[in-house]
Amino acid sequence: MADINIGKAPPNSAILPFYATGAVAFFVLCVLMLISAESFTRHYFSPHLLTVVHTAALGWGTMIIFGAAHQLLPVICEKDLYSPRLASFSWYTLTTGVLLLAYSFWDFNTGWVMISGGTLVVLSTMMYCLNVWQTGKICSRYSIQKLFITSSAIWLLFTTVVGLLLAINLAFPFFWKNHLDILKLHAHAGLAGWFLQLITGVSTKLVPMFLLGKSKKEYLLKYAFVLQNAGLVLFLADGYFMGVSSRLLIYALIVFAGIVCWLMYLYDAFKTRVRRKVELLMKHTIISFVCLALSVLLIPVVYYAKGTQWAILYGTLLFMGWITSIILGKTFKTLPFIVWNGHYKHLSGKVKVPLPKHLYDEGLVVWQFWFFIAALAGLAFAIVLQNILLIRIALGLWVIVSVLYGYNVAKTLLHKTNILE
Amino acid sequence: MIILPTDPKHDDKLKAKNALYRVIDPELFVNIVDLGLIYDIEFIEDDIKVTMTLSTPHCPMGEAITGGVKNALGIEFPEKDTTIDLTFDPPWSFEMLTPEGREQLGV
Repeated sequence: MADINIGKAPPNSAILPFYATGAVAFFVLCVLMLISAESFTRHYFSPHLLTVVHTAALGWGTMIIFGAAHQLLPVICEKDLYSPRLASFSWYTLTTGVLLLAYSFWDFNTGWVMISGGTLVVLSTMMYCLNVWQTGKICSRYSIQKLFITSSAIWLLFTTVVGLLLAINLAFPFFWKNHLDILKLHAHAGLAGWFLQLITGVSTKLVPMFLLGKSKKEYLLKYAFVLQNAGLVLFLADGYFMGVSSRLLIYALIVFAGIVCWLMYLYDAFKTRVRRKVELLMKHTIISFVCLALSVLLIPVVYYAKGTQWAILYGTLLFMGWITSIILGKTFKTLPFIVWNGHYKHLSGKVKVPLPKHLYDEGLVVWQFWFFIAALAGLAFAIVLQNILLIRIALGLWVIVSVLYGYNVAKTLLHKTNILE
Repeated sequence: MIILPTDPKHDDKLKAKNALYRVIDPELFVNIVDLGLIYDIEFIEDDIKVTMTLSTPHCPMGEAITGGVKNALGIEFPEKDTTIDLTFDPPWSFEMLTPEGREQLGV
């Protein structure tokens, strides 16, 4: 195997802290939502909802994705990760940055704490981008997945820099544009640039790998890349120079076409899969895509309909449906393997060892799945109905989901080497 | 991988192949022989050379699988060194699964 680099997984110290912190952040997020349930009936620009959104986007979504991406970059680029140390530094800065941001948003203390939080998040993003760029650079082979991951990292940097400018603008106003309009651009650069493109790139590698399916229609991914980026760039440029208008529906349609191309590719791989049985964890992925499609289809309603509930529902479907569902599913398709490698890689073939799926409680994952369905559907209906009691009940279910998830993540992380007789 | 009865190393190869049934792909829960990852086993003096592949290039479980091959053969043939010739030519495909592998995967 002299000339084939099968690569070494990055050290666990560069990966596992992201998963552990992400699980804690998810629990904190669900508790924050529960104690600020009234925010779900008000305008989205409120201190508690800003805390919730940033905890969801950075503490939960980005935290877990950073961990998974550092692990998966070598798989996608077929080369070792450029710098595990940079990955560790990006964890320190992201964690501290999120804490400062959440603390300052909660009471809306604009000023240096918020700005420092934003600066640390930007620093973390820069280190992540450097790792992505350098790992991708040493990879000689072109792949569309590499392109998606690189573009998503650039969009993340753009999003966090704009976020930092917004934080500065709150304390020392200097924007000559409306703060809320820039906030919309910031949010959508993060959603359609960072999360969408990262998930597109990673899923088109992982889903066929897990299902043992193949698609030869890679041209669909090229269309997806062009359409997702074109729609987003047009939205941002038009929104910044001309102001957000009904033209955003055209741009949303372009991005949606990009989403459809990506999903068609995955469906093609799904149709040719060798593993016929669709695992529960893969069902999470399917639900995630349904939530994404629903939220994009909701955009005209958010724009034209009266009432704040539609914007709140839109955000809920994206963060708690799309992003959360894919993380809940993919965590147990990645984390146990990372931990297993650390404990059993050297013992494989020598003695009987547990399988990665034995590192967590599969039964609890089933409960987690059904509680997730109930929590998401309940919250969505409660938001539409603007019923605070139902919102509280649904948010209580979310806390249960986060406890089940956190327990299984902790069980996996704290696993002790166990040789079977 | 087919071992012909006329092969002068038939018994050793069969013993090696049986040892490799102990190496499981941790993601697919199927042993690497039935997955069709093993292309050839050669006995060259004091060495065993295993020509094999992975289901995905740069598979995250690659080290565990190739390490498992060395471990399993090290137990059966403690006096020999194992070298692994990892190849993606031909790349692994579903057709390489044995009937037992297909059954275990629920295909």
